[in-house]
Amino acid sequence: MKRTIASVLTFAALIFGGLIGNALAQTSAPVPATGERVATGERVATAAASAPVKLTLPVKEGSVRFLVIGDTGTGTIQQQELSDVMLRYRQAFPYEFVLMLGDNMYGGEKPADFKLKFENVYKQLLDDKVKFYATLGNHDESNQRFYEQFNMNGEEFYRFTKGGVAFYSLNSNYMDKRQVKWLEDELAKDTSEWKIMFMHHPPYSSGGKHGSSSGLREVVEPIFLKYGVNAVFAGHEHFYERVKPQKGIYYFISGAGGKLRSGDVKKGSPLTEKAFDTDMSFMLLEVAGDELHFQVISRTGETVDSGVLTKQQKKPNTLNTSNLTVIPIR
Amino acid sequence: MTRAAGIMFAFVRWQMKHKMNKVIGFVLGVSVMFGLTFSPLPAIAQQTAGQQPDPLDSMPPKQREMVVGFQERAKDYSKLRESIEAKMPKLAKDSTPEQIEAHKTEFEKRVRSARAGAKPGELFTPDIATYIRATIKSEYKGTERKELRETVLEADTKGVPLRVNYVYPETKELVEMSPTLLLKLPQLPKQLRYRFVSRNMLLVDRENGLIVDYMLDALP
Repeated sequence: MKRTIASVLTFAALIFGGLIGNALAQTSAPVPATGERVATGERVATAAASAPVKLTLPVKEGSVRFLVIGDTGTGTIQQQELSDVMLRYRQAFPYEFVLMLGDNMYGGEKPADFKLKFENVYKQLLDDKVKFYATLGNHDESNQRFYEQFNMNGEEFYRFTKGGVAFYSLNSNYMDKRQVKWLEDELAKDTSEWKIMFMHHPPYSSGGKHGSSSGLREVVEPIFLKYGVNAVFAGHEHFYERVKPQKGIYYFISGAGGKLRSGDVKKGSPLTEKAFDTDMSFMLLEVAGDELHFQVISRTGETVDSGVLTKQQKKPNTLNTSNLTVIPIR
Repeated sequence: MTRAAGIMFAFVRWQMKHKMNKVIGFVLGVSVMFGLTFSPLPAIAQQTAGQQPDPLDSMPPKQREMVVGFQERAKDYSKLRESIEAKMPKLAKDSTPEQIEAHKTEFEKRVRSARAGAKPGELFTPDIATYIRATIKSEYKGTERKELRETVLEADTKGVPLRVNYVYPETKELVEMSPTLLLKLPQLPKQLRYRFVSRNMLLVDRENGLIVDYMLDALP
């Protein structure tokens, strides 16, 4: 009897203690997960920050140069370290803007969160007037679209152009008829040389935790094919993957900008051309004429993937596949 | 491919009717079928999601009336919150986090006050709840249902209160809503969102974060 009472009391204490702890966590400042250290905004001289820059991109005159990161919003030292490498590479490759692939803020969206998880981490880039164009992830509130530094113009889905390249930011959390219609209407009149989509959920993925968003793909892929979309960037998975061209369209996952799910890429996946899931990473891209050059760099400054992709013909679903070439550059 | 098979079948029947030489007929038939399947001509474009007809158009009148009624109630909420928002300072497209936070907090307070007596089931009346459950059940079968359940049940939504006029916690994730399902469900005003929390479905205001209504066990 006494043992039973003791067990019940212990159980009740655990539950009660857990509830109190949870309530405190909701009201206190963000607490990193075990093993992660919180960035303080001070510049830390890490090994990654001093690693030599090994650029594989051509840096051609008049090219469109940008960086892609996803799932960043943690405010950890690791996110800061990756940012340091991003900054170092900017000296050799002066990218003009950054695409953020969603999950821009984890665990809260108070002003302190924006400081800790974004402004402090990318302070130097922001001071250098590098623009960040964000898309919304499943951890992001719709109100982020009003945040000045995300350049979403108050919209959950939007487009902008740079050079001859049209970039479409899609809200994959809520792909309703309104957004689908907007996308079709915009693409129908778009005469840009390149059409690049960026969103949070990946239509194709070899991730073990999430995998391909097949419902999303079912709706957007026919539109992409119909209107000659060239490339799609997505996050959500916390690794990097270059997916084999699907019906002529290039797909990338770059979701390790602030989080990492080590070993999550399914080995032997028929989708994978190249993958990296042992450290955080970001992508550098350069569109020059009919070529899309890319380089993927890890938190320690290592190049984990690179190459050049040739622009597809106008209607990829009737494409002569001999136009598709990937030339690894090492 | 199905179209090619159908044409092949018709061709075979025509060949039999006209007693064409079997070898010539076979060669011609295979050539036609091969050509139709791998034709360089662009396939007839699959109808895209944006071009699909509105489900309302093909509904029986009583069902249509019920769905339209739900949409009217959703619009009434939308008009209420728009009228409240119109009396507040407008949130600029290049706002600071402090401005966003202040706007959201004030907006939530005002709408909550205006709907002080709101109860569950005011938008999700029993008839529309039944319709939505049936739509989800018919839309998702087999492995697709399994995938949807995994997506929904794995999401970090524990602690989201199932209470009308409460705020959806910003620390909790928003489960991706399947686009194919969204195309089948009644269209909502842009400020309102369907959201799964476990097997339940909520209507959430995307700006003030308030739970406007909910229904239990939407997911089979």
